[in-house]
This record gives sequence, structure tokens and C-alpha cells, in this order.
Amino acid sequence: MISARSIAEPTIKDTIIHRMDPRAKILILISTAFVAVTLDKPETMFLLFMTIISGFALARMPAIKLKTLTILLILLIWGTIYSQALFYSQLPRTVIFTIISPDFPVMGWLTNGGMFVYAEGLQHGAIQGLRSASILSLGLLMCWTTDSRDMLNGLVGLRVPYSVAFMVVTAVRFLPIIITEVATVITVQRLRGFNPKRFGSGIIKTSLNILTPTLSNCVRRTGTLAISIQSRAFRANTERTYLKKLKFSEFDKVVVAFCIFAAISIVIIKLLYNMYTSGIYYTSGLRPVYAIARGYL
Amino acid sequence: MKNTAILLLKAFLLVLVFILQPTAQAQEDFEPEEMTAFMLQVPHGVEGNGLAVRGGNLSAYLFFESYYEGNMDVILELCLPEGFVVRDTPVHSFSLQTEYEDWYRLIDFYIPQDLPSGIYNITATAVVDVDGNQHTIMRRTRIRVASKEEIADEISISGLIIPSDEDGYGDPSHPSNTLVIRETSPVLRKLLKVTDLQIGREELTSTFIGVEVANNGVSTVPVIVTYEILDIKTGEPVRAFKPAIMGMDADTFCYAALTLSPGSSSLVSLPLYISENAMGGNYLLRVKVKPTGSDWIAATQSQKITATSRKWGPILITFISALLGVTAVSLFFIKSKEIMDRFKTRNLVLISLFGTVSFAAINLPMTILWEMSHAIFGPFSFLFTGLFYEILLYMLIASLVVLIPKPGVVSLFMMVRFLLGGFITGSFTPITFITLSVSAVILEVMMYAAGITGKNPDPENRLRVGIVCGIADMVSGYTSFSVWMVLYRLFYSNWYITANILIDGFLYTFIGAWFGISLGNRLKKVAE
Repeated sequence: MISARSIAEPTIKDTIIHRMDPRAKILILISTAFVAVTLDKPETMFLLFMTIISGFALARMPAIKLKTLTILLILLIWGTIYSQALFYSQLPRTVIFTIISPDFPVMGWLTNGGMFVYAEGLQHGAIQGLRSASILSLGLLMCWTTDSRDMLNGLVGLRVPYSVAFMVVTAVRFLPIIITEVATVITVQRLRGFNPKRFGSGIIKTSLNILTPTLSNCVRRTGTLAISIQSRAFRANTERTYLKKLKFSEFDKVVVAFCIFAAISIVIIKLLYNMYTSGIYYTSGLRPVYAIARGYL
Repeated sequence: MKNTAILLLKAFLLVLVFILQPTAQAQEDFEPEEMTAFMLQVPHGVEGNGLAVRGGNLSAYLFFESYYEGNMDVILELCLPEGFVVRDTPVHSFSLQTEYEDWYRLIDFYIPQDLPSGIYNITATAVVDVDGNQHTIMRRTRIRVASKEEIADEISISGLIIPSDEDGYGDPSHPSNTLVIRETSPVLRKLLKVTDLQIGREELTSTFIGVEVANNGVSTVPVIVTYEILDIKTGEPVRAFKPAIMGMDADTFCYAALTLSPGSSSLVSLPLYISENAMGGNYLLRVKVKPTGSDWIAATQSQKITATSRKWGPILITFISALLGVTAVSLFFIKSKEIMDRFKTRNLVLISLFGTVSFAAINLPMTILWEMSHAIFGPFSFLFTGLFYEILLYMLIASLVVLIPKPGVVSLFMMVRFLLGGFITGSFTPITFITLSVSAVILEVMMYAAGITGKNPDPENRLRVGIVCGIADMVSGYTSFSVWMVLYRLFYSNWYITANILIDGFLYTFIGAWFGISLGNRLKKVAE
């Protein structure tokens, strides 16, 4: 199975994806998120998904990362298929399996007429799952090809207040320590007879018992850490200097400009098309735009 | 003597003229064609030569009107050709008393299946008795009797326009072959005013279907145009598109009667009512043209149509939530210095460490567990994932508020979680942004209003904190569903959303917040 480390830790290499400015990656991710939620055409959604997946090949991701990605994507898409097979509310829909019959006592009434698995819902779930899959894949590609410190520099570069960036830096820095502490607490619990992997009360008890000792350590650590930070002139000056200066390469500029332009264009086209289909706004001059939206987006 | 005889004869003739003068005057005054209107239509509605299908039931229309000031008695007889079966008495007598008084009848008859095709003459004769004088008026018409195959070749549907305006013409401002099912909440309708479609009833939306019917034959044909909206797979009619109106079946309203002249085409509009429980999707619109008086369908045309469901509630919630999130973040960016200066460095460190713990204990394991439980339990996974996402998360939030009861602490905690999730697991998604920002804003406002945070904070009241967190999570939960439905085009049943919001949103959150106060108090002792 996949571990927390395989999800959380980046793989540092020297590829075109790794070399990209973290600010460019953040901007590309935001643009792509807009595009992903705007598209409706399955073919275009699949094209977007495949384009993002090709980024993993460009970044020469190790097998463990690809395995992690595959498992996450399968689970994500299957989860969407599962829920949509049950809740699909368009016609036509073909019942392929009855989970709760409408005549079933109480549950039939509670579910407002039973619960069924619809064939068309499976297909709809698979298509819509591509949307989440695209965003998740790009997010993971970004995280797995960028050091968290560079990412935070990128955040500051994008005008995120330094105090916030500092909090996130602290959180990131302490993440391995806290994960270790959590692991230690789980080991201790196991030694005391808990079975954390047992489904049900085992997981719940373990989870609840993790918090108290872990947070106690955090509270104790806070005082020391705060004094240490203040002694290093934290928030003493309004302006800060940075050791590492971020710089957009020409390639970054082109890719970011393309992604932002594409995202803005697609969002506007779809917005105009939806206004047209909803009867809110129509003008004959926009017919080519409507045709593009209907045919490709 | 001879002269006297001549004089007597002249006098007799004069008297005779005087005696007979009124009758002759009456006979001269009454002009049957001028002083009556007599009309024969076979079938009813057709002026000129009609067309009938073998095996059809038709009605002949007889109309008689007087323009004469006096009394008249009329005997009217309809003579149908041999082989036609009259269902009613063909002879009628009546009396018209005054000018403009009229009489009419529909006389039903049946055309047998085995009647040979051809043109038949139909005659109506009116014998008008005015002051004892009888005048005969006759009307003739011809009807062509044809087989179904012959008529089917002549009648065709040459165009289907959906949606159309009330005259049947297409409107380029609406996409063709598409129906928009709008949410018909009265408040929303008043608020939006986005539609130019007519809305007849509170829960019904209506539009029109334009149907162009052509008659390529040489006879006038009266027809009835109707339609059905069918399930594209099963072919069953979908009742949501023909709801009962004023207690009557929609078929009572959804038809058009049309008389097609030879070699012409006509455009008619049919009303289409959409009830609010109609579902989006693909349907089959089937328009049928029947000759009047027959159940036989002379022409039919089917067209695939798409019904688009526009639920303005989730759309508005998504829009407002996104706006709220963007506004909150913008305000934070603008006022970041003032906001951050209210927190001591140790507060910021504690918040970020709580963020780390929440990420390590909730987000990281849930990256896999959430997906796995979704894959195994499907939509019911919330009963399991809620234990982490709600109970553990709100234990952390409540304990953090006990330690730092200041406005803004929840927002900073949420921000750290969001950024950490984005950097470590790539979860920079619109859903996460909107849900977390709405959750943060509502929690901040409600906690401040309830006195949990602020100048004289009371963060240790379990019931109050539990209720505030529960309500805030219910709101953010509902927002989250709306965003999933709008941005990710996913479907959820109302009962499921309600169950999720009540169990996950309120119950689990309340439990988490309740235990979170105890946890916070224990941590406070550690801090002291």
C-alpha cells in the first residue's frame, strides 16, 4: 500500500517541470482548476486530464509516485462513480440494481422512494470524476516537483503576508516531527493493547488518544519556539530580505501567460454560453462563441 | 251595355289587385339567398372540398341564419352519399322568429373502412316557409374519401421548433431543442427575473413548441396537432411535462386544431408545461397530426430534445460563497498587518502547530482513507469519515479556541490547513477554498456573536460552543454540497444532503466541540 511519505514528500530532480518557478506552478494550478470546473465536454475533459498526466512523464516521476497517483485516481474516480450511480437524477436512467426498495419499511420512506444503481449514473460519475482527477493530479505534480520551502517563497512572491507564510513554514517544518510523534503514540497504544487498524472503535479510540499527548507536546514546544523566533527579530521590521530570489524564466512566462489566457477565455466563453442557455443574455454577434462552447467546451 | 260590362270588368280586376297585393308584395320581398345564410361544412371547419380517412368519424356542420324580420319555418335535410353511416337524424326542422336568429347542428357520421376511395357529393337542402310560401335553398360540397396510405403521403410535418414563441416561431436567443427547467421558488423568481418565458402557475414553467404542418394534397384537411414527451429509452410518456392543470389533464390544453388548405403549410404553437419535479436529461419529443375525427395518426415526427435543469438555489449559494471567500481573503490581505499584530508570536506558533497536527492526524491519513471509504461505502462513507473530519477537527478547533479565545484564530487555523493541504497533497481545489473560507467566516462571526471569542470571552461553555460549531458546520456542509453540484456537476438526493448535514454537520461536530473543550482545558494546564 502507499505510505504518508510517498504522498507528502517531493522528488527533487532536474527536469523542465522541476525547474519551473513555484509561483508559475501555483498560477498554473489555479488556472487549471478554473478550466477543470468550467468544462463539460467529456472529450475535452479527458484531453485536459491526459495533458496533466503527461506532466508526470516530463517530470520523470519515480514508480512509487506513479503508483500512489494511480491508486489515488482509481479511488477518487470510483468514489465519484459510486455516488453518482446512486444519485443520478437525469433521464433516461436505467436501474441495474435495487439497493433499497421503495416498499422497504422506513428506509423506503426515508430515501424518498428507494435507492437504485443507475447505469447512466456510472457513466456520468466516470466523466465527472475526470474533473477532480485533473485537479488532484496537477496538485500532486506541483507538490512532488517542488520543495516546500520554494513553494512558500513562491507564496510570499505572490504577496501572501509574511506572517501567514511563516505559519505555514512552521507547520511544514514541524510536520515530520509531529508525524513521528503520532507514530510513537500509536506504537505506545499498540503496546498497551489497542489495535489501531481494527475497523470501528480501534480507529476512533486511537485517533482520540493521539490528540492529547501530541497537542500537549505542541503546547510545550510553543513557548520555546516563540522565544527563539522573537530573538531572531521576527516581525521586527516591515520589510524582509530573502536569501533565494525567485525568477520567472522565459518558458515560465510563456506557460503562465498561455494558461491564464486560456483559463480566462474558457471561463468567459462558458459564462456567455450559460447565460445564453439560461435565457439571460443573447446577442447574435456571439454565435461563433456559442458554437465553440457547444462543440468543444 | 258593352261599355258598362267593360267598366265592371275593370272594377273587378282592380278589387282583385287590391285583395291580392299584400301576398304578392311578400313574395317579391323575400329573397332566400339574400335573407338567409346557409352553410354546410363537411367535415366541420372545412370550407370547400374536404378530406376524410376511411374508418373515421366526422361531423357535418350545418348553419342557418335569418336576415328576415318576420317568422320563418325551416326544414333542413342533410343528404349523405350511399355508404356513409349517419349517427344522428339527418332531418331537422326549426323556426326562426327574428332577424339574425340562427340555428346550427353538428351531424356525426361514419365512413366505413370498405368504402371505395373517391370524391363524394354531399347535399344539404333547406325548405324555408315564409307566410305559407316555400323556398328551397340547396348547398353542395364534396368530400374526398381516401385510404390512410393516400393521406399519409399528403400530410407531413415540415418543421419542429422548440422552444418557440407563442406564434410558433423560433427564437434564436434560446438554444434549439433545449428546454430549461427552472427552479420556480417564488422568492427566487422575483429576485432573478431572468426569464422571458411565460409562467402560468407558481409551480409550472411554460414555453411553446412550433409545429409546421404541410398539406401537399388537393383537398382541405382539418387536423389536430398534439405532442408527447417520451422517455428516450422506454418510450413511456413523461408526466412531468404534461402536468394536471386546474384539475384537468394537460392534454385538454396541449393541442391545436388546424385546417390545412390544399398545397399549403401552417405553423401552429402548442403550449408546453414543465412541472418543477421534471428532471433534466434527454427526451424524445413526438408530434402527431391526426385528421379531425380520427384517432389515426396521419403524420408524426420525433426529435431528441435536451432538458437542462437550472437550480438557482445551489448556483446562488455557490456564487455567494465564492464571493464571500474572495472578499474575506482580500480583506485579510489588505488588513493583514493589523490582524496579525493582534496575535502574539506564541499564538501564531501554536496555531500553526495545531494546523500541523490537524494535517498529520486528519488530512494525511484521510487522503487515502477518505477515498477508500468512498470506494467501499460510497455515499454512506460520511458516517465513517465524519469521525475524522468532524469530531477530530472540531476537537482541535474548540481546544484551540479555549487556548486562544480571540477573533481570527479559527480563520488562521483554516488558512494554515488550506495552504498545508495545497503544498503537501496538492488539494488547492475550488471546493476546499470555498468550503473552508465559508466555514471560517461563519465560525468567526458566530463565535464572536455568542461571546465565545472577543473582549470578554467565554470559550468553556460546552453547549454554546457545540451549538455554534454545529450550526456553522451545517451551513458550510450545505455550501459544500451546493459547490459540488454546481462546479463538479454531481447529483445528490435531498434526503442524503439532509442526513449528511444533520449527522456529519451537527451531531459529529457537536460531539467534537464538546470533547474539544475538555481537551482545551487539559492543554491549558500544560501551558500554565
